[in-house]
Amino acid sequence: MQLVLSWPVRLFVVGVLILSLFVDGAGYVYRIANHYPLTGQVPGLPPNFGGWQLYFHKGLDLAGGTHIDYQLTNFPAGQNRADVQQRTIQVINKRVNALNVSEPEIRGAGTNNDRITVDLAGVTADQAQKTIGAVSKLTYTKWVKDDKVQAGPQPGYKPALTGLTGDDISSATATIDQNGTSWVVNVQFTSAGASKFDNLTRDAVAACPGAGQDCPQRHLTIWLDFTQKDIDNWEDPSYVAKLSTRYDPGCLAAQGPDTVCGKFLTDPTTVEEIAGGQAQISGQFTQQSAQDLATGINSGSLPVDLVALDVTQVSATLGAESVKLSIAAGLLGLAIVVLFMIVYYRVPGFLASLALLFYAGAVLAVFKLVPVTLTLAGITGFILSVGMAVDANVLIFERFKEEVRAGRTITAAVDAAVRRAWPAIRDSNTSTIITCVILGFVGPSAVKGFAITLAIGVFASLVSSIIVTHNLLAIVMAGGSFRRAGLLGVDRVRTV
Amino acid sequence: MSELSDVRAEQQAADIEPDGAPQAKVEPDLAPTPRPPRRLNIIGRRNWFFALSLIVIVPGIVSMATRHFALGIDFAGGTELTATFPNHPSLAQVQAAVDAEGVNGSVISTGGDGYIIRYPPLSATQLTNIQADLKNRLGPTNVQQILTVGGTIAGETIALSLLAVVLASVAILLLLAVRFRNVPGGWRAGFQFGGSALAALLHDVFILTGIFSILGAVLHLRIGEIDAFFVSAVLTVVGFSVHDTIVVFDRIRENLRVSQRLSFEQVVNLSIMQTAARSIITSFTVVLVLTAILIAGGSTLQGLALALLIGIVSGTYSSIFNAAPLLVVWRRVQPLR
Repeated sequence: MQLVLSWPVRLFVVGVLILSLFVDGAGYVYRIANHYPLTGQVPGLPPNFGGWQLYFHKGLDLAGGTHIDYQLTNFPAGQNRADVQQRTIQVINKRVNALNVSEPEIRGAGTNNDRITVDLAGVTADQAQKTIGAVSKLTYTKWVKDDKVQAGPQPGYKPALTGLTGDDISSATATIDQNGTSWVVNVQFTSAGASKFDNLTRDAVAACPGAGQDCPQRHLTIWLDFTQKDIDNWEDPSYVAKLSTRYDPGCLAAQGPDTVCGKFLTDPTTVEEIAGGQAQISGQFTQQSAQDLATGINSGSLPVDLVALDVTQVSATLGAESVKLSIAAGLLGLAIVVLFMIVYYRVPGFLASLALLFYAGAVLAVFKLVPVTLTLAGITGFILSVGMAVDANVLIFERFKEEVRAGRTITAAVDAAVRRAWPAIRDSNTSTIITCVILGFVGPSAVKGFAITLAIGVFASLVSSIIVTHNLLAIVMAGGSFRRAGLLGVDRVRTV
Repeated sequence: MSELSDVRAEQQAADIEPDGAPQAKVEPDLAPTPRPPRRLNIIGRRNWFFALSLIVIVPGIVSMATRHFALGIDFAGGTELTATFPNHPSLAQVQAAVDAEGVNGSVISTGGDGYIIRYPPLSATQLTNIQADLKNRLGPTNVQQILTVGGTIAGETIALSLLAVVLASVAILLLLAVRFRNVPGGWRAGFQFGGSALAALLHDVFILTGIFSILGAVLHLRIGEIDAFFVSAVLTVVGFSVHDTIVVFDRIRENLRVSQRLSFEQVVNLSIMQTAARSIITSFTVVLVLTAILIAGGSTLQGLALALLIGIVSGTYSSIFNAAPLLVVWRRVQPLR
């Protein structure tokens, strides 16, 4: 107990207090430092303190948005499941980028690498599923002569379907070439695709013979979601111009009957006949652009099928409403507890309330620092821990009353109360933390947030009630002016 | 019959002082608490308290066995659409519109213009069509929330929830056995403490699940539906109930050391009296907080708050009136000295 009352511990508490006040008020610190008004919209929030962005990370049920759990089925045989899962995540990421979501979260899950969880703020389930689940079909075209075509990527030529599609590609990967100097994209064909591709490249070389030739017939172009209708419209220059821009999944997801979206992926020249089903696309690639192209080719052939297991869509208004209600419930709960403690325990109750405020401030700071993504259930766990936080104090104070009744001096009673209440406090909080840990590991995902905030809350409440309350009591009682029965909520006080 | 006379004999033995005599004379061997404020004979009347618990538990168990539970969307699976309709359609109008869709939807009113519509699990396309259809029939629609839960996830949630409850119970039994192995009697005593706490814990779980079974499956109230939140409520109650029980048991452990001259029954009764105030006050603060959530927290959290409220009241009751008395019964059946 000497340790609890020592100066290093007190300094530590003051340090934690200052840090949490800073973290909790980070937004206001930023506003004051930059002479912005304290309320309303200001630029640059949340503030960035050397890489630390301090703000409450709201879960989808508070921010509004869509959460989807996908089951991956039809894994390609002979490939590492974890790799396939990663590739799928990249493709989904790519498609989702088109939606302009802030902080999209796409995580692998499942015991067998067979799940992917997607969290998208501010997007309806409809948009999300169309964008992610959109099967963009990859198509190879060759170029045939057509004098009516004046513009487009190959004037005088229009594309023709070749029968080679995304179904014929097993994977595309970005890698460094054999010389180790530049980025290339390797495309691996299935056995059926390999022979189709062999024929196409042989014909392309034959149509324009000679080494190093670059004529339109040698180009095999890759498109996504390319249709015969697109070819029929090839004489319309504005249509072709739009079509020949980079593949735009967002546009295609929101496609009306008359919109024209970018469908172009890449347009490599065939250097020689390629047999064996291994093609390499080279060019002026950076690592980024090579990976983009690989993902683009893969997105035409998602390596697995996605089945939505559950879909949750929460509107932003409902989320904002929930935030408001949670704050109201939290403040109401805190106020009731503080009032009760002060009325029932007088001065010690007031000190415990101060400790409770310290506790609330510290826990909120932890939420920002970790950061803990706050959900409705998580906030409930936190509010509940406010009620539980006073438990240790109640134990100590009830014991304190007993010790005073037993005839101890105030100082001795405080010490004895803390010491004797400790085993019960330790054991009971251990049981709550055990429950939280079990919930956190095996509980269904919806309640994990609850377990995490409750566990943080219980732990912080232990620190605040044992260390903070005890120190405050010791400091206040040292003065002597508070050693009166009426102020301590006990029947009589020994004044020695 | 013998049971009854046994109670009376026990009562006489344990009634050292008359009930309800607040300023009873100080007993010298009760240090460090020479003047306990009130003395109720809880141990002597334990069968009454057990009976009171059974009155609540038995209907709950009957309801669970015959009617089971009303399952929320995350356990039952399906698609749930929460929306408000600014054109103020009546419940009948909304139900008619949903019936016309022909996908087996059912409508619940949430007050005002708010409705919850439940369907069997719908695909993305079906959902889009249905939203368009609702808009056609009922005018503008503010969709607040859409939940679709497939059968796989629903089954997993149920399995994980049960696993969590079982694991937590075992862990708590072990924790208590370890913590209380140093009372006279060693590990066996430890398991008596742990087992009694576990029984009180199961009491709370049965009270809570039983009441929710009655609320949901018998009375068909929406608040009585069980979902993942309900599971977290059960586990929190498990933790909290053990909280209270440990405080009582800890006091018994301490008093067994300092008050050698008292019988086990008397020690237990004394310990309950000494800790009851704390248990009730702590629960009271939590009850206050939960009431705040129940009133101000909005409909999503009300089920959780109600479950916690029931569980915590039950937890406090069981730790005072069931756990320690059970310990006494156990000691009589299996004496350790």
